[in-house]
Amino acid sequence: MAGSLLVARREVRAYFDSPIAYITAAVFLVLAGTSFMNSFFLAGVIDMRPFFDTLPFLLIPFVPALTMRSWSEEHAQGTVELLLTLPLQPLQIVVGKYGAALFYYALILTGSLPIVAMLVWLGEPDLGLIFCGYLGAFLLGALFLAFGQFLSSLTHNQIVAFALAALLASILVFSGEPRVVEVVDGLAPLWQPGTAISDSISCLPHYEAFVSGLIGVDHLLYFLLMSGFFLWLTQVGLRRIQY
Amino acid sequence: MIRVDSVTRTYGAITAVDDISFAVAAGEIVGFVGPNGAGKSTMLKMLATFLRPTAGTVTVGGFDTLQAPLEVRRRIGYLPGDTPLYRDMVVDDLVRFVGGAHGLVGADLEAARTRVIDICDIGPVLGQRVRECSTGFRQRVGLSCALVHDPPVLLLDEPTHGFDPLQVMAFRDLLIGLKQDRAILFSTHIIADVEAISDRVLIIHQGRILGDGNLDELEQCAGLGGAGLEAIFAHLVSTTTTTQVSQ
Repeated sequence: MAGSLLVARREVRAYFDSPIAYITAAVFLVLAGTSFMNSFFLAGVIDMRPFFDTLPFLLIPFVPALTMRSWSEEHAQGTVELLLTLPLQPLQIVVGKYGAALFYYALILTGSLPIVAMLVWLGEPDLGLIFCGYLGAFLLGALFLAFGQFLSSLTHNQIVAFALAALLASILVFSGEPRVVEVVDGLAPLWQPGTAISDSISCLPHYEAFVSGLIGVDHLLYFLLMSGFFLWLTQVGLRRIQY
Repeated sequence: MIRVDSVTRTYGAITAVDDISFAVAAGEIVGFVGPNGAGKSTMLKMLATFLRPTAGTVTVGGFDTLQAPLEVRRRIGYLPGDTPLYRDMVVDDLVRFVGGAHGLVGADLEAARTRVIDICDIGPVLGQRVRECSTGFRQRVGLSCALVHDPPVLLLDEPTHGFDPLQVMAFRDLLIGLKQDRAILFSTHIIADVEAISDRVLIIHQGRILGDGNLDELEQCAGLGGAGLEAIFAHLVSTTTTTQVSQ
C-alpha cells in the first residue's frame, strides 16, 4: 500500500507538471459544458442527462490522451529500469499509477459540478439520479484508464498508445450504440450479432443503467472486473519485460 | 555478496552473455571491462533483477534474483547505463522518492538524504529539475539514488560517463571510500578507471569472461608481464576474435 501511494504521489505531481494535462482537462470541460448547455436550452428540462449522454463519446479521445504517456514514456526514457529495480512489486507500481490517473480524472469530473449547482439553483433536479450518473461516469472512466494504461505498457510510442486506446474505447462505446447495433444486426438478422456484441462486451448498456438510476450488481461487476482484468494484464506485461 | 553461476542470457538468436561465472566479495571493487556489446550491461541488468537469466543462477546477498527479487533489490544500489531518471522531477524529490521506495521515512529518510547530498555533492542542483542538470550532475544524481538506502552491493553501469577529469578523480575517491563492507561491481570501457580503483578485473568479450583476476594475475595469464591492463585487454580481445574468425 505504501509503495502504491509513493508511486501515486509521484504520478500526480507529474500530471500537474505537464501542460498537456491542463489543456486536455480544459478542452474536456469546455466541450462537456457546451454540449450540455446546448441540449439544456433546447429541451428546457432540469436534468443532467445530456451531460452524461455525451460523456462516453468525449472520453474516447480524452482518456487515451491522459494514459498515453503512462508507461510508454517510461519505456522511451528508460526509467522503467529504475522503477522496476526498486523494491516494489509490479502490481504496487501499476496500482499506484492507476490510482493517480483515477484521482486526476475524478478531479476533472468535479469540474462539472457547477452544472449541478446551476440545476439546483434553477429548480429541483433528482439528486439521486445525478449521483448515479456520476458513479457511472467514474466507473466508465476507471475502465478506460485501466485499458489505456495496459495499452500504453505495450509500446514505447505515445501516439501508438493513444491510437490503440482510442480504438478500443470506440469499440466498447459504439458497439452499444442502438443505431450501430441495428446496422450490425441487419448484416445477419438470424444471429443478431450487433445485439450479442452489445450485450457481451459493450460498456454502454452498463453505463446507461447507472445514468438511468440503476445501481445493479451486474453493472458494477462489469466495470470492476473489466478494470481489474486490464490492471492484471498490465502487471503481467511488466513481468514479461524481464524475459 | 554477488555470485553468478553459469549464467547465459539470450535475446532471440543472439547470445549476449554466454555461460558466465564469477563472484564478488564484500569489501571488493571489481571492474567489469569489455568493448561495446560485450554483455556488461546485460549482466548488470540480471544482477539488478531487471532481466532474467536464460540459464544459470544469480544470487545477491544470498538471495536468488528469480526466487527473491525484492530481497535482492533491497540490497543493491543500481546505476543503470545512460542514467535513466525522471527528467521532469526536482532532484530533491527524486532522491526522496527512491529513498521512500526503499522504505525510508521521516528522520531516517532525512538522514539518508543529507548523507547522499554530501557524498555525491548534489547540493547545487537539489532544487533543479533533472532535465536542467548537466550530464555530470545527472550522473551524480543517479549515483545518489543508488546510494540513498546505504546498500551493501553497488552495481554501476558506466558510472563515469559524462564526468570531467576532476569529477572522475572525485568519483574514484568516492568508490574507494564506499568500498568498506560493500561489494562494488562497475562496468566501464575506460581502462584507467579500472586500473586506478579495482581490486580485481573481469574482462568480458562476446558474452564470455576472458580474464578474471588482479592486474598481476592477468599479466601472468596473458603472458604479458608489466604490459598494463590496456595491453592485456587488447591482447585477450584480439586473440579471441582471431580465434573465432579462423574457426
